[in-house]
Amino acid sequence: MPEKLAIPNLGNYTIALDSAVRAVGIEPWSSTSTSAEAMRLGIAAAPESMCLPFKAHLGHFIEADNAGCAHALMVNSMGTCRLTYYRRLIENILKDMNRTIRVWGLGFDGLKPPVIRYFDPAPLPFIKAVLLALEKIRIIDVLEISAWKTRPRESRRGETSALMRGCLETLAKTNIRRDVKKLKQEFVRVFAGVPLDPKRIPLRIGLVGEVSVLRDKSLNQNTEEILGGLGAEVRNFFLLGAELVNIFGIPLGGSRAHTRKRLVKIARPYLNNPVGGHALDSVAHTLRCAEEGYDGMVHLCPAGCMPEVSIRPILAAISRDKDIPVLELSFDEHTSPVGVATRLEAFTDILKERRQKRMV
Amino acid sequence: MKIGIPRGFYFYLYPGLWEVFFREIGMQAVLSGSSSREIVELAAPVSETEHCLAHKLFDGHLLSLRGKVDAVFIPRILSMTKRHICCAKFGALPDASRSILAARMPVIDLEINETKQPLRKTLIRFARKLGAGRRRASDAVSSAIAAMEKTWDDRRRANENLPPRERFLLLGHPYTLGDAFICGPIRRKLTALGVPLESMTFEPRRLAPSPIRWCTFNKMYHKLESLDADRYAGVIQVSTFNCGADSVMIDGFRRMCRERNIPYLVMMVDAHSGMAGIETRLEAFADSLRWKNETAENPHA
Repeated sequence: MPEKLAIPNLGNYTIALDSAVRAVGIEPWSSTSTSAEAMRLGIAAAPESMCLPFKAHLGHFIEADNAGCAHALMVNSMGTCRLTYYRRLIENILKDMNRTIRVWGLGFDGLKPPVIRYFDPAPLPFIKAVLLALEKIRIIDVLEISAWKTRPRESRRGETSALMRGCLETLAKTNIRRDVKKLKQEFVRVFAGVPLDPKRIPLRIGLVGEVSVLRDKSLNQNTEEILGGLGAEVRNFFLLGAELVNIFGIPLGGSRAHTRKRLVKIARPYLNNPVGGHALDSVAHTLRCAEEGYDGMVHLCPAGCMPEVSIRPILAAISRDKDIPVLELSFDEHTSPVGVATRLEAFTDILKERRQKRMV
Repeated sequence: MKIGIPRGFYFYLYPGLWEVFFREIGMQAVLSGSSSREIVELAAPVSETEHCLAHKLFDGHLLSLRGKVDAVFIPRILSMTKRHICCAKFGALPDASRSILAARMPVIDLEINETKQPLRKTLIRFARKLGAGRRRASDAVSSAIAAMEKTWDDRRRANENLPPRERFLLLGHPYTLGDAFICGPIRRKLTALGVPLESMTFEPRRLAPSPIRWCTFNKMYHKLESLDADRYAGVIQVSTFNCGADSVMIDGFRRMCRERNIPYLVMMVDAHSGMAGIETRLEAFADSLRWKNETAENPHA
């Protein structure tokens, strides 16, 4: 039996990583959003003032250990945020709980991360697996973008989300690169087939903030779908394809608009330092959206997130100077789904009224 | 020209340096007053709600300087020791302050990144930019750095004069240990209990590598690593509410102390701290350590 490896939670992108791991002969264990059980386990085991993504990660790994995984992967970094120390802390906590699961860092650890050295996949299948994952990432980007567009316009409520689920399932099952490439056309076609209500002119709302809460539906209490249902076309500024362009300069998805260099330049009047995490991106994208005439922005961050919290005053200043409403949402384990839904509803109501006043 | 120095963060990270520096290049440094309940209340309605207490105090000090100075000085401290970094929030500090709180005050910023450039060189360039001549800039920086070194020396000497045994070690960021609102009550209580109290010092020095890239935490890590249960009765970690860095580091520090068999207490201070809570916890900690020693000496008592 192949060894079981727990995959970190990257929202829908988990599917891409999952198939790459399967392609090199390791059995993946994953979920596209943090389960309630994982959340409960993580909260119980984590130090109280750690951020929500930490608790989600920890819980995910404990759940994986229960499911019999011997290994787990996690994203780590060498940045200024606390994330640098998460793997070590998670290891210590798991050891205290007498858990045997071993946690490996993914990326930013040198050219050949230790996890690859350990599993030592043959070079050819490995390269094939990476290419397959990149292809899938590109398609998931397309799916996400299509869903943002159709959801606020759909005639029958819920159709887009159901379609999205179906497409992701098909994508997860398709594991030959040539077939995956073909799926792209098909997905674009099925999304084009969703009956739309031509009378609606959706609000445009940009979502910026910390990666995990942007990507993980259960951490952000389904913000994206709620906004879509309220008649807002969202643009979530974390697309993994675009992000790879940002980090490595790999042109995936065709656009160079996200390169770090550009963002630094855009943010300059308000922020002269990358700070850490995606703080600079949040500032730059907010400025860009203001320029492009978006109706509003939602800034999602885990409660106490060091980089994102530190730029909140800057977002407030941009909101004041550029006349773009910014809703601040903070997520921790006490954040209630109803609370989030109510605030998003109120926010979209305000935006609609603003738009009407402008038209008069 | 009057330059405002908020009594927080960088004021404590480079103690004694800034007043001398600005004086020597011919400017008047205006320090905000000591931290107090009033400063907290000044910041409370306007400061970002999720900032740590130390940050809120900094914002309060900034506000208290309004109308009293021509400009405020807020450096961007990215690194204080080679190949080490500082709190992520410092990267945005001047920009964030400029956005809301200091919107109507000119802000003079300065990037301090000792990984890239030694402090001395950074300061000389800064002095030149502020209009000091070559000679004057160099002299000003020399005396400013000497003043800072003297401050650290004095603090180290105060620690050396403590009794060699049964000491308590006070750990925390320089800006929490130095702050009158955060750490003042803790110091007063421990002094009243008659406990020999050693404060962690952070004199600039080369750091041995450790898994920690935050320089203040690396210094604390090395201190704890060399800690000896014969000399130290206990460690008290002063933490401020919602400090992101503390939340991830304290777990490791607790482990280090447990391995060395030294009791470790975390005092979390927030904006609402009632004195009674602090006093009770410190008393209980000191009492339990005393009882521990008594039972060790006389197990049948």
